[in-house]
Formats: sequence, C-alpha cells, structure tokens
Amino acid sequence: MKTTTQNNRGEIFAKTIHFPKVITKQQHNPLNYLLLLGMIFSVYILSMQPVWAHGEKNLEPYVRMRTIQWYDVQWSKQQFNVNDEVSVTGKFHVAEDWPISVPKPDAAFLNISTPGPVLIRTERYLNGKPFMNSVALQPGGDYDFKVVLKGRLPGRYHIHPFFNLLDAGQVMGPGVWLDIAGDAANFTNDIQTIGGKSINMETYGLANGIFWHSFWAFLATAWLLWWVRRPLFIARYRMLHAGLEEELVTPLDRNIGKAILVGIPVLVLVFYTMTVNEYPKAIPLQASLDQILPLSAKVNTGVVEVDTTRAEYRVAERTMTMSLKIKNGSDKPIQIAEFATGGVHFLNKAAPAPKQNDADSVVAAEGLSLDNATPIQPSEQRTVLMTAGDALWESEKLDGLINDPDSRIGGLLFFYDTEGERYVSSVTAAVIPKFN
Amino acid sequence: MSANLSPRTFRPYTGEKARIARAYDYLVLVLALFLFIGSFHLHFALTVGDWDFWVDWKDRQWWPLVTPLIGITFPAAVQAVLWTNFRLPLGATLCVACLSIGTWIARVFAYHYWNYFPINMVMPSTMLPSALFLDAVLMLSNSLTITAIFGGSAFALLFYPSNWPIFGMFHLPVEAGNSQLTVADMFGFQYIRTGMPEYLRIIERGTLRTYGQIATPLSAFCSALLCTLMYTLWWHIGKWFATTRYLNRI
Ligand SMILES: [Cu+2]
Repeated sequence: MKTTTQNNRGEIFAKTIHFPKVITKQQHNPLNYLLLLGMIFSVYILSMQPVWAHGEKNLEPYVRMRTIQWYDVQWSKQQFNVNDEVSVTGKFHVAEDWPISVPKPDAAFLNISTPGPVLIRTERYLNGKPFMNSVALQPGGDYDFKVVLKGRLPGRYHIHPFFNLLDAGQVMGPGVWLDIAGDAANFTNDIQTIGGKSINMETYGLANGIFWHSFWAFLATAWLLWWVRRPLFIARYRMLHAGLEEELVTPLDRNIGKAILVGIPVLVLVFYTMTVNEYPKAIPLQASLDQILPLSAKVNTGVVEVDTTRAEYRVAERTMTMSLKIKNGSDKPIQIAEFATGGVHFLNKAAPAPKQNDADSVVAAEGLSLDNATPIQPSEQRTVLMTAGDALWESEKLDGLINDPDSRIGGLLFFYDTEGERYVSSVTAAVIPKFN
Repeated sequence: MSANLSPRTFRPYTGEKARIARAYDYLVLVLALFLFIGSFHLHFALTVGDWDFWVDWKDRQWWPLVTPLIGITFPAAVQAVLWTNFRLPLGATLCVACLSIGTWIARVFAYHYWNYFPINMVMPSTMLPSALFLDAVLMLSNSLTITAIFGGSAFALLFYPSNWPIFGMFHLPVEAGNSQLTVADMFGFQYIRTGMPEYLRIIERGTLRTYGQIATPLSAFCSALLCTLMYTLWWHIGKWFATTRYLNRI
C-alpha cells in the first residue's frame, strides 16, 4: 500500500546511502548477487514513490469547486498552549453538480491538515453527532461540523480542515496559522477503557512491545552468533565441496535445531495464551461507516432562486462573467454580497456583507461587480450579469478549468437582505473561454 | 583450489590464509547486514506497508495474511544461497533480524522524530520466532520441499500468536463518540494522518469476515498455503541470482 506517502520519506533516504557500497564492491561471490538482487529491488521500488505536497491547489479546479463547498469556517482561537483545546467549526454544502469523474462521496473523512500529529483530534461532530470513522455524504446536502483538537507540539503551523474523498483527493477548507506555545514534554493524553483502566496513549504498550521484540531478538542473536563464530563462507564452501558436509552441521547443531522446532511453537503458544487470558475482552478493530443525514436545507432553501444561464471566462482579463436569473421570494430587498468558489471569495464592495468571521480565506475584496447594483425587490425576477475578476483565478490555479475534461464551475452565492438576513444559493454552469 | 577435493586430501586454511578468509567473512556479513536492512525493509515497507506501520491496521484478517507472505520472500532467497553453498542455516533469521533493525530505525526516526507519531502507534510486528523455526526446519530436513511445506506453513501460522503479546493490549475496548472502539482505533482517530484517512484501511473486509471468531485461523491457514508457494518461488529466485561459479576459482 502506498497510501502513507509522506511518511516514507525518511526510510527512502535512509536506504539510498547503502548503494555506493554495493556498486563499488566488485568481488565475485554469491552474496554479491544477492546484493545485486536487493539493489534492483530498491531502485525499482524507489522509482514508484509519489511525491507528497501540501495539496491545496493540486486538485483539479472542478473538484475543488464542485465537491465540498466550505463556508463559515472559524477557529475558537489561534494562539494557545500545549494541552489546550481548540475547536474549528464550519459548514459545507455538498455540490449537487458533483463531477461525473469523481466517485460519489460514499466514504469521506473529515480531516485536519497538519505536518504530523502536532495536534491531536479529541472529538469530531457532523451535524452535532459525534463520528469516529468515515462518513457517507449526500450531494446537495448541507452539513455543519466541529472538530476539537488539543495542542501537542509547540510551533507555528498552517492548518486547514479538509475532506479526504475516496478516490478523489483532498478538498481543502480555508487555512489559518496556529501558534502553539509551551513545552511538548508536558503533553498528556489519557483515555479510559470500557473496563475502567486509564491509559496514557503516548506510552501505552511501548515497554511491553520493546520487551517482546527484545526477547525474540535475544534468541535470534544467539542463533546467529552460534554460527557466525565459526569460519564461514570460503571455509564452509570448500568443506562442502570436499564432501565434509557432516562436519558443517554437527550433532549438537542438530539437537539445538530440534529444540527450536519444539521450543519456539511452545513458547509462542504459552505467551499467546497468557495474553489472551490477560486481555479476555479484546475486540477486533472497528471499521464502521457512519451514516449522518444532511441538515434541513441551508443552501437553496427555496426563498431565493438562482438559475445560471451562462458562464464565460475571459482569459486575458482573468474574469468570470455569469448571467444569473434570480428570483427574490423573500419579503425584503436582497443584494449579492459574495461569490465563493474553490476556496476563493469574491466580495461585492458595493454591498458589503455584515462582518464575517471566516478563517483567513483567500479574498478578492473588490472582485465582484454587477451590471445592475440596485437591490432585487421582493418577488422581483431579474437577470443579473455578475463579474468575478481577480488574479486569484490564476494564482489559485482555478483557471485551469477551461482545459479540464469537465469544465463546469460551481460555487456559492451569498445574498443579504436589508435586515442582514443571509440567503445562500449554489450556482453551477459550463464555462466558455474567451481568449481575445 | 579445486572444488573437487576428496575428504582425505582436504586441508583447511591456516595462518595468513585463514585470517584473510575470516576477514572476508566479516566483510560479507557487514555488507549483507546493511543491504538486507535496506532492501528487505524497503521491500516490506512498500508491500506490507500500512499493515505493519500502524497499530490500527493490524486486523485479524489481512495483517496475518499479508505480513508472513511478504516476510518469507527474502528469507527464502537468502536461505537458498546460504544453505546450498555453505550449509549455513541462518538465512531466515538473518533477514528477519535485519528487517527488524530497519523497521525499528524507520519507526523511531522517520515516524517518531520526523513525523511526531508516538512509537507505540507505529510499532513493527515480529517474525523472528517464525524465522528461527524456518532455519531449523531447513537445517534438519536439508530439503526444499519439506522446508517449503512445513517451514513455510509454520512461518505463517506462528505469526499471529507470536505478535498477540505485543498488540493484544491495543484491542481493549474504549467508548468514544457514542461508539465502541479499540485503543488502536483511538490512535488512528486522535493522531492525525493527513494522507491516510480511515476509509483507506483495508481491514475486516472480504468474505473471511463472515467466519467471525475463526477469521484469524482461517486467514493464517490461507497464508500458510500461500507461504509454501511463495517460499518455493523465492528459493528459486535466490538460486537464480546466486551462482558460485566464480568462487570455484579461488
Ligand atoms: Cu496551508
């Protein structure tokens, strides 16, 4: 399995240093061929290693725009100490217009992008329900989430909530810088078993594991030394071919071999039985898939209806122009304040949204303009030409969309009425490039 | 020196020649040690991979099936060389010992110090009892067939029980998030792995699951059968790569 790519780096580097010795040694001996065998394997395997990166912009734009659409992501604090708890909350809409080339989100994992476990995850909720494993999501569904974390290693880290989507990749939510202060040595993580036993997760089972590894290593070393103390390769090779095979494996050796044949299985079974008796309540690893239903609609609630009739991307100007048929079903005038897609927020300066506590998102503060700035009146239906323009299309690598096999855009449109009430609608359309 | 000396005319090396031969022994041993630590460990890391890396992958079906199956490869090849040419019954133990050294180094440095995982979460499994048994079978039987059948099977069958003393305690139940998890699952939940979401775990999947309590023995016997074939295959790979025709000129 090559799923833990970032963790293999260390091993790969540690191994490559042995190659020069192998290559420069030119003696002819059967073992050299084993060396060669090993080398071929190592090279073959090294070449298969994928490279790991932070991954925010790696995914195709249409996957970032039309799968998990994050909004309202907030952190409870950004500066805290080792052992302090911090929580990240937010919402996401699962796009109705889920890309055909991406498997449906039948197994998704709400994760946190960290450089290793610098924080531990102590609790995680979806729509208020705790869940420990992966979850099935429904396209078109609305969810809110909360993840509680606990500082483990001091440092400054850029952290995002994100979804691992099966066979699709990592869809990043907005990231923030977290500063963890304090001393790593003070970190504690104790949990209770159902049997009432308190466990220190940082050290649980380690001494026991080292003991058993050492026990078998001791026997193995004894066996190896038993043979290595005698003259080995050249001497034994000559003797074997001189017909002195009996002298190479003595009766004492054979008796030790018999002792191993009997003793090892007996020891293994005795230790196994001891362990089974010590932990009779042991259970298999748990591998359930959580089923959590979406909330009642938060996006496309039916009050404000939006239909995207056309979307054009002007490559030279780096602007996306969308023509939207909007029907205001509320009883107050509404205005478009924001268009969000693929983690980029285009704000309408003419109609600022009430203060949003979003995590450090990628924002084009004046990126959104409309052909008609007057608010849409109650029960009015209007076709609006909305232009989202900023260099962020390029720097966030969203403009690659027009070269993708699936060149449709998807995003969320945020309306506010005069009282500050918010309406969210999802928009989606095929994108037509304009190159002039 | 010809390879066709009769026992009567055989003279062991003495003096300077013996010393050089001994120095050569050590040279080869040290090189083999580094090579096996590197290559076998790498081979293992990229095939068994996550099943050996993470405590929450060590399930009762796939872990005891996959680990011995890959674990018997290099031992078989090295046994083929060391036994047929030198009557040295230590190939399996040597390989698996090197593997253990390599994995422990990787877990402590790459996983713990570089990527901050607690070592108990990434503790390797042991195959040393299996390897000792395999070496003893080969020495006593001097037969590829018997070693493949009995040694190969025992290699697989001994794996799960010899690792349970290390990992059994990670299977104690814990209540978390309104559900029952093992301590091992808690490691997977708490200690964040960005590239390894839970759904990628290949555990408790497939038809073996339906056998419930006897899933592990079934898995182990399946592995035993496959190990017999794997052993034979890798024995021949080892033989094919190792030829002593150059040694005849010494
Ligand atoms: Cu980041």
